[in-house]
Amino acid sequence: MIATLAASPYRDVDFFSFFGVMFQRLFQAIQGNLPLKDLASDEIQMLVLIGLCFSSALIGAFLVLKKMTMMANALCHTILLGIVLAFLLLKPLFLEEGLSNSFLSLKILIVASFLSGLLTTLLTQLLVHVAKVQEDASIGLVFTSLFALGVVLVTLYTKNVHIGTEAIMGNIDALDKDDLSLVGAVALMNLVAFFFFFRGFTTSTFDPLFAGSIGLPVSFLNYFIMVLTAATCIAAFRAVGVLLVLTFFVGPPLMARLLTDKLRTMILLSFVLPAIGSIFSVALSRHILVVYQTPVSTSGLVVCVFALMYLLLLLFAPKKGVITQILKKKAVFQQGNSR
Amino acid sequence: MSDTPALLVKQLTVNYDKVPVLWDIHFSIPAGNTVGVIGPNGAGKSTLLKAILQMIDPLSGKVEFFGLPFKKARARIAYVPQRSSVDWDFPITTLEVVMMGLYGRLGLFAWCGSKEKKEALNALDMVGMSSFADRQISQLSGGQQQRVFIARALLQDADLYFMDEPFAGVDMATEQSIMQLLRDLKAKGKTLFIVHHDLNTVEAYFDWVIMLNTSLVACGPVKEVWTELALSETYGRGSFVLDEAVKLSLRRTSGFK
Amino acid sequence: MSYSLLDFFTDPVLRAPTLGSIFMCISSSLVGVIVVIRKRSLLGEALSHASYPGIALGVTLLAAFFTPSSDGFALAVLGCAFISSLLGMLLIDLLQKRFRVKDDAALCFVLSSFFGLGVLIASRIQTTHALWYKQVQAFLYGQTATMRDIHILIYAALLVFTCVTLGLLYREIQILTFDRSFGQSIGINSKFVETAVLLLTVLAIVIGIRSVGVVMMAGMLIAPALASRQLTHTLKHMFIVSGVIGAISGFCGNYFSVMIPFYLKAEKLSLPTGPMILLTASFLCLLALLFAPQRGLITRMLRVLKFKRNCQLENILKALWKEEKKEGVLLQEVASSQNLSSFKTWLRMRKLLSKGWLSIENHRFILSDKGEKKAREVVRLHRLWELYLVHLGHCKDKVHASAEEMEHVLTPELEKQLTDFLRNPMHDPHDQPIPHKEGKE
Repeated sequence: MIATLAASPYRDVDFFSFFGVMFQRLFQAIQGNLPLKDLASDEIQMLVLIGLCFSSALIGAFLVLKKMTMMANALCHTILLGIVLAFLLLKPLFLEEGLSNSFLSLKILIVASFLSGLLTTLLTQLLVHVAKVQEDASIGLVFTSLFALGVVLVTLYTKNVHIGTEAIMGNIDALDKDDLSLVGAVALMNLVAFFFFFRGFTTSTFDPLFAGSIGLPVSFLNYFIMVLTAATCIAAFRAVGVLLVLTFFVGPPLMARLLTDKLRTMILLSFVLPAIGSIFSVALSRHILVVYQTPVSTSGLVVCVFALMYLLLLLFAPKKGVITQILKKKAVFQQGNSR
Repeated sequence: MSDTPALLVKQLTVNYDKVPVLWDIHFSIPAGNTVGVIGPNGAGKSTLLKAILQMIDPLSGKVEFFGLPFKKARARIAYVPQRSSVDWDFPITTLEVVMMGLYGRLGLFAWCGSKEKKEALNALDMVGMSSFADRQISQLSGGQQQRVFIARALLQDADLYFMDEPFAGVDMATEQSIMQLLRDLKAKGKTLFIVHHDLNTVEAYFDWVIMLNTSLVACGPVKEVWTELALSETYGRGSFVLDEAVKLSLRRTSGFK
Repeated sequence: MSYSLLDFFTDPVLRAPTLGSIFMCISSSLVGVIVVIRKRSLLGEALSHASYPGIALGVTLLAAFFTPSSDGFALAVLGCAFISSLLGMLLIDLLQKRFRVKDDAALCFVLSSFFGLGVLIASRIQTTHALWYKQVQAFLYGQTATMRDIHILIYAALLVFTCVTLGLLYREIQILTFDRSFGQSIGINSKFVETAVLLLTVLAIVIGIRSVGVVMMAGMLIAPALASRQLTHTLKHMFIVSGVIGAISGFCGNYFSVMIPFYLKAEKLSLPTGPMILLTASFLCLLALLFAPQRGLITRMLRVLKFKRNCQLENILKALWKEEKKEGVLLQEVASSQNLSSFKTWLRMRKLLSKGWLSIENHRFILSDKGEKKAREVVRLHRLWELYLVHLGHCKDKVHASAEEMEHVLTPELEKQLTDFLRNPMHDPHDQPIPHKEGKE
C-alpha cells in the first residue's frame, strides 16, 4: 500500500536537495519524459495537497465570508457517517473490490456528499425551527452525535478502530494515483461550479436580501456550497483527514485577507500561499525523516506551517500587519520630529 | 396613467416564531407617490418590506405590484436593504457593488462588459461617488455607503423602489442629497416606498404615510392622515391587548400552556 | 465473558473506568449548563480540540523520563492539556478582539491548527514509543479501559472541586447569566466571575476528554444541559438534572462499550467509550426534546389536539345557545352544522354531558344551566373581540374569523382589559348584544 519505492528519488535528500530533485523532475515532466506511473510518493503528496489547496481556496473564501465555517466543521464531522452509509448502501455494487479503494470511488463520493449535506442541514434546521433549540447547541449536538454514530459503525463494521482514527488524521503516506485522480476530479468540479456561479455566490454572500429580491436562488446556492464543501472534505479524507481539512478552508482566506482587499486576488492568494506551504511541508517532512531519522505526520506539519504563515502575516503583512503598522507609526513620528 | 395601484397589499399577516409581527395589513398605494412607513421599533416595518418582497412567508395575504404578482413584476421593482444587513468588510469595490444592480436584468450568467461598466459609473456619478469607484467599501462612511446602495438601485431602472431606513445613521448633507435624488425619481413618475424612522421629517419628505403598529393604524395622504390621534394610536398602547392576545393564541396553537 | 451490572462497580478491571467516567461526565454536564445558557457551545468545541497538542506534548515529554504506568502520569497530562486549551482560548480572544477576525473563523482556525499541532507532535512518538502513542490516541475518542483505581480518586477530587466552585459562585453566575447589567450594578465583579467560569469550562473539558475524547467533548457539554433545559426552568434544577443525565451517560457508555463486543462475539474488538457515552447522552436528550412535560414536541402535539377538541366543544355550546331550541337537538344536526363526523360528534357530546354542560332527553341534547353560562362566556368574548378590532380600525365584515379563533384563547385578565378599554360595551359591531359578565342580560 505504501507507494514509497526503494528507488524513490527523494530517499536520502535533505531539505535543499529536495528542491533540486523536484525541479529536475519537473523539468523532465515538462519535456514529457516523466510518465505518471513513475511519480514518487512525495510528488503524489504534493500534487494531492496542491489540488486540495485549489478546491479549498474557492470554497474556503466563501465559507469565511459567509461566516459558515462552523457549519463546514460540522459537515466535516458528518462526512464520516456519510461515507459509511454510502458504502453500506452501495456495497452490493462492489462485490469484488478491496475495502479502501471502493471506499472512495466517485459514486460513493457523490452519494456520501449528498447524504452528509442533507443530514447535517436537515437535522440542524429541525432542531432550530421545530424543537426551538438555540442554534449553537443544535449544530454542536447534531454533528458530534452523527460523528459518534459514524465512529461506532466504522469500528463495528471494519472491526478495526484504526480506520476511525485515520478518518480524522488521514494517512498521507498511503496516497496513490487513485487519490490523485479523485482530488483532481473534485478540483475540476469546483472550478466549473465557481466559474458558472461566481456571480451568484458573490452577490448572495455580500447581500442575501438584495440577492433574493432580484430573484437569485439564495437557498439553493447555500446548499450548493455545502455540497461542494462535503465533496472536498471527502477528497481530503485520505490525505489529511476530515478535521485537518478545516485548516485548508479557514487558514488561507484569513491569510489572503491580510494581503488584499479584492475578492479575486483573495481567492488566488488562498490558493498560491497554501500551495507553497504544502510543498514546503512535504520537503520539510522528508528532511526530518532523512536527517533526524524521525517520521512525522506530514498532514500535521502542513497544518502547522499554515498556522505559522498566518501568524507571521498577522505581524508582518505589508499594510495590515501589527509590526508593520507600529514601524510605520514610528517612521511618521520620527519624520515629524526631524522637521 | 392607469388606475392600477403601484402596490396593493391584501390581508397580510406575518408571524415570526411565536411573536405576531404583522396583522391583517390592507392598503393600496397609487403610482407616483412617495410613501413613508412609520411606527415604533419592532412594529414590523422591516418585516412588511420583506413580506411584500417575498423574502418571508406570510401566514396569509396577497400582494400585487401594478396588478401583477411578484415574480412577473420583478423587473419593475428595486430594493434597498438596511445598511446594517451587510458586512462592509467584504473584499469588494464600490463599483462592483453598484454593478450588482444589473444582475437582475442579466441573470446569473450573462457577460458584464464595458457598456455595463459605463452604466454603473454613470449611476455612481448621479450619487456623487464616481471618485470612489475603486475604493474598498470598508473605507466608506455611512452616508457614502447609503449612496452606493442607492446607485445600485438606480441601475435597476425600476418603477417601484423599496427602501429600508435609508436615512438612518447618515449625516445631514447626505440626507439632503439623497432626498434630492428621491425627488428626481418622483419627478420621473416613480413610486417610492420608504421605511422611515424620523417623525420630524415625515411631512417634508413624503406625500403619503403608512402608520404601522403590528396592525395598520392609518394609510393615506400625509395632509389627511398625519394627525395627533393617529400618532397616539401608533405609538400608544391601544394595541397592547392585541399583541398579548395574538401571542397567547400562537402559544396555544403550538402546544404551550 | 459476560458481566453483571454490579460487576461494573466492583470488578477491579471495570470499576475504575466506570466510576471514573461517571465522575468525569458529571463534571462536564454541570459546567455544560453554563456553557449552553450563555450560548457558547461552539467555544467548547474549539477548546477541546485545543487541548490535544497539550496531551501529545505532555505524553511525549513524559515518555522520555517515565514508564507508562506512572501514577503521576494522568495528572501531568491533564495539566498539559489544561495549559494548551488555555492558550487556545487566549489566541481565540486575541484574534476576535485585536485582529477583528469573525467569531466563527477564529474558533475554527484555532480548533484545526491546534489539533494539527497535536497530530504532528503525536506522530513523533508513533513509531518510537508505540505504547505511549496509544495513550495519546486514547484521548481522541475516549478510552477508559486502561484506567486504574488511582484515577477514581483523581476524578472524584476534580468533581468535588468543580462542585465546590460552582456552589460558591452560584449566586453570581445566576445573576450574571440572566441579567448582566443588573449584576454589575449591584457590585458583582463580572470580569472575575466570567474568568472563573471560563477556567472552569477549560477544566471540565480537560477532565472529560479521557472518557469522551477530544473530538466529541463538545457534545457532552451540550447534550445533558440541553436535556435538562427541556425538563426544568430553575438553574439549580438544571444543574441537578444535567448531572444525573451525565452520570447515566457515563455509566451506559462504559457498559455498552464493553458489552456490545461481547454480544457480537467479537471480544477482541475494543469500542471506544467516547461515542457510546455521547450517543447515550444524545438519546436521552432526544427523549427530553420529545417528551418533556412542558416543552416536549410530543407533549405539545398532544396539547394542541386537546386545545382543538376544546374549541370544538365550545363551538357546539355556542351553536346550541344561539339556536335556542327548547326541545334540544339531535346528534345528526350537530354533526352537520359543525361539519364533524358522526363519531367525533358523539365523542364531543359525551364529553359535554360528562362535564355537565348538556343534558340528554329522548335522544335530544339540551343545554344545562352550566352549559348556558359557558356558552354565554364564549359569545361574550367573541363579540368583545369583534368590537375591539373594529375600534382598531378593521372593517366589521372581516373581524368574524379572528373572533372565532380568539374566543377560545382570551383569558379572564385579557377580557377585563378589553372591557375596560372599550368602556363596558353593550353591543358588538353587528349590533348584537354582548352577554354580561355575570350572566344577566
